[in-house]
Amino acid sequence: MVQMAIELRNVLKQRRNKTIGPLTMNLPRGYITALVGQNGSGKSTLLNLLMQLTNPEEGEIYWFENRYDSGLPLELRQTIAYVPETSITEENHWNAEEAAQFRQHWYPNWDESYFQDLMDRFEVPYHMRLSKMSKGERRKFEIAAALASRPSLLLLDEPSSGLDPFAWKIMIETLLKYMDENNATIIISTHIVEEVRRLADYIMLMHRGELLGMAEKDSLFGTWTEVWVQVAGEEELAELSAELPGGINFTMDTPGVASFIIEQFSKNEKRIQDLGVKVIKSRSLELDEILGLWTQGHRPILIDHKRGD
Amino acid sequence: MWIPVQINENSAEPLYHQIETQLRSLIISGVITEGTLLPSIREFAGDLKCSVITVRRVYQDLENEGLLRTRQGTGTFVSHIGDGAMEEYKRDTVGKALESAVDIGRSVHCSKDELEQIFMEIVERKYRAKE
Repeated sequence: MVQMAIELRNVLKQRRNKTIGPLTMNLPRGYITALVGQNGSGKSTLLNLLMQLTNPEEGEIYWFENRYDSGLPLELRQTIAYVPETSITEENHWNAEEAAQFRQHWYPNWDESYFQDLMDRFEVPYHMRLSKMSKGERRKFEIAAALASRPSLLLLDEPSSGLDPFAWKIMIETLLKYMDENNATIIISTHIVEEVRRLADYIMLMHRGELLGMAEKDSLFGTWTEVWVQVAGEEELAELSAELPGGINFTMDTPGVASFIIEQFSKNEKRIQDLGVKVIKSRSLELDEILGLWTQGHRPILIDHKRGD
Repeated sequence: MWIPVQINENSAEPLYHQIETQLRSLIISGVITEGTLLPSIREFAGDLKCSVITVRRVYQDLENEGLLRTRQGTGTFVSHIGDGAMEEYKRDTVGKALESAVDIGRSVHCSKDELEQIFMEIVERKYRAKE
């Protein structure tokens, strides 16, 4: 039976110059979901709603299948960790050691040896004031401190911004290991394709304040294929496009060679060959191209988790 | 344990199918031996850059085929492979490879006799080299 970590029902948040929502989604427990979308699409607002840093004007939010309209209880907050887009300023005057002491007070599951282990692996200085750290160092501290509280729900808002490639790799490996050893749930907002590839199970796309849906990563990456075929000219290409109603962007690339984008190539490949058309080459679309098509209304196969499925 | 599965991102073949086919042949051909502990679902998914949903599906399919077994709390292991499965696998993989060779032959208009001749030449050459 699938348990839900987060559920949103018609959640609406009015911002000064834009509206986020209505958002409806179910996020199953035990998975990593990548939250993607352009700048200003509402990703950070969604994460803030999940932390109750801001409250919706309309709709309902459930945490682990419960509603808490009058504030998240402390015991629940202690199981949620959040790495915001910009670090909070309240801890600025502390060094990592002092900030860790403070957090330890609030998080009963705080794992000090795990924290120190992560700090060492990330090579973050212990005795430097947080405000004096470089952006990347501060980020690494935030990630280590979030994990050290041993959360059941981890919200990461562009966690890798400022990280060098070595630190990035450690972060990926650490998150995967944490998920392997704990029945946790991660929501990670990101623009980094490789991060989505390495981490995500599900991908959730936001666009202009709306949630366009949630797709299983591997199914999404396999949705569209660009295909190059041998055709005599425009006329033959027009005939071919009429036979392939799901295809888009039919273009003559050079004399004799045309390309187009098609869904479910594994099913359509034989059909193309049966029409007597020779396939020269094919490639799967990259994530940015897939998201581009998705925002233009070409929807992939979406997932709708129901409680108890 | 690291499992040598190679993913082709541009293949039309669905990801779970690519992983399943390769893992099955690694087990049946004996590259991964009986009793081997496979990586956890999350670990394998991380290596292959796929989702845990895909790896779970592969493990479940191969468990249903009797190639894998899962022990609660310890992980997923390679089961004992019967001789029957081995024979079937041999016929299956060789058959498939020959079938695609024949398809290529037909696409360049080889006659049946020509194909047979090419096939026999290759067999002669390869087996002579071995002896």
